[in-house]
Amino acid sequence: MTKLTVISGGLRQPSSTRLLADRITEAVEAELAKFNITASSSTIELRPLGRAIIDAMLIGFANAELESAFETVANADGLIAVTPAFNVSYSGLFKSFFDVLPQETLSDMPVLIAATGGTERHSLVLEHALRPMFSYLHAIVAPTGVYAATNDFGAQDGSVGLTERISKAANDFARLLHACGTRTRRDVFTEDLAEMERLLAAAPRPGEDGTVED
Amino acid sequence: MSGMQFGIFTVGDVTPDPLTGVAPSEAERIRAMVAIAKKAEEVGLDVFATGEHHNPPFVPSSPTTLLGYIAAQTERLILSTSTTLITTNDPVKIAEDFSMLQHLAAGRVDLMLGRGNTGPVYPWFGQDIRAAIPLTVEHYGLLRRLWREKVVDWSGQYRTPLQGFTLAPQPLDGVPPFVWHGSIRTPEVAEIAAYYGDGFFANHIFWPPSHTRRMVRLYRERFEHYGHGSGDQAIVGLGGHVFMRPNSQDAVAEFRPYFDNAPVYGHGPSLEDFAAQTPLTVGSPQQVIDRTLGFRDYAGDYQRQFFLVDHAGLPLKTVLDQLDLLGEQVLPVLRKEFQVGRPKHVPDAPTHESLVRAKTADAKPSGIQPTVQEQQS
Repeated sequence: MTKLTVISGGLRQPSSTRLLADRITEAVEAELAKFNITASSSTIELRPLGRAIIDAMLIGFANAELESAFETVANADGLIAVTPAFNVSYSGLFKSFFDVLPQETLSDMPVLIAATGGTERHSLVLEHALRPMFSYLHAIVAPTGVYAATNDFGAQDGSVGLTERISKAANDFARLLHACGTRTRRDVFTEDLAEMERLLAAAPRPGEDGTVED
Repeated sequence: MSGMQFGIFTVGDVTPDPLTGVAPSEAERIRAMVAIAKKAEEVGLDVFATGEHHNPPFVPSSPTTLLGYIAAQTERLILSTSTTLITTNDPVKIAEDFSMLQHLAAGRVDLMLGRGNTGPVYPWFGQDIRAAIPLTVEHYGLLRRLWREKVVDWSGQYRTPLQGFTLAPQPLDGVPPFVWHGSIRTPEVAEIAAYYGDGFFANHIFWPPSHTRRMVRLYRERFEHYGHGSGDQAIVGLGGHVFMRPNSQDAVAEFRPYFDNAPVYGHGPSLEDFAAQTPLTVGSPQQVIDRTLGFRDYAGDYQRQFFLVDHAGLPLKTVLDQLDLLGEQVLPVLRKEFQVGRPKHVPDAPTHESLVRAKTADAKPSGIQPTVQEQQS
């Protein structure tokens, strides 16, 4: 069983970002099925978490609802991350979610990046904004992302259709997930503790200085 | 004093009162801290602790100066810190300053060590925040030796070597001040406190209790692991964050503008959400009592409870009112109720006197060991 977590940064209802996220998820599940891998997916909409994300940024900890979203991301074997393109980048809310996500949550996590926008002109947002951010977060970013402009949801005239592009990206991502296998979650708390234990072991032992430690 | 210690800890921030837009001058804030400390003793609290900061809008850059001045005007109050920066202070200067303070205050001194999380402060003192943890370990190792060995030869990575150094004055009665390690979020602090059998103070406030539960549990486990006693004998302190009026609605109405505009947590969640998610209690003295007694449910029986009462621009008079309510209505109940069901083997909060007694008892090879009953008297 491969656990997929899907992040949708769409703001409206209905949302083309969510629509794209759902289509990619279905395609990835279908591709995984070819490897005899069953997948389960959980989708996180960022809009209802908007306040909690800003609060977490201001006070340093997440409320229960946001914490549960973090857990869903941390426990996934792979992430599908979809944002609307705003002002030549991801949306601020999408970025803010990853700004408050605990460090190393995405470490070694296969990620499929995708974005929606008004026109095809913004398609490089995948390569200029999403890919570097996820690389920085130590994710394994799938080579093929999906960009969908408003036109892609209408008539297709000659260009490679959205469905084909989704299939191509889903196929690449499924192969990546298959190769990576079940993901082991990093435990920074335990890592920090082990490092401190090592440092202290090199320090003077308690009691070695001849005093009693009461 | 027996069982638990109760006190207040201050950040020493200069914050405008949101109702008037006027901030106290640094001089007014410093004098207010002294007045608050004296009031703490007057209302029966046991400890006053000051923060240490090296940048505006904070005033307490020189804690032992402040504490020495307060020591001269008090008789019973224990003077402490929250926290003393073990990273950017020279351990030799920490040893000297607190030894001196111990002598002046006749032993009414302990300290809480912290790393400090303001990046630029490190380079101002010739250090690097990226090395904060190894720096803590090295500096604290040296500090312990300075307080325990007559002549110290030492070399390390972060400070110039010492050859034939003898601390003056030596710790009062040959007993170093008790050391707490203050933690907001990292497990490393619990580990160093447990390793040396020192006290562990969980800041507790501004964070969900689940976080404090995990840290205190870790500290108790590691304390036992390092052979200092059973986990429930480890020395734990907690912060608290309260605003009281006799009627809880009055407390909420009066505190709200201070909450909404406070540094650290202002302009974020509502007062109600924050009070539900963190130890903040805004209400009647009875609500403060109930909430505080509940800390035991996840921290176990513990030794020290601090309250934050003077921040976010609250006027001095309001803070002094808070201390009156704490002393008159909250403290007597907490002292009594925290003793209920407290096992005999759980240690009292350490004091200079208890450390001297323990040292004397240990120095006699076949002498009478102090019993638990004696320690609690």
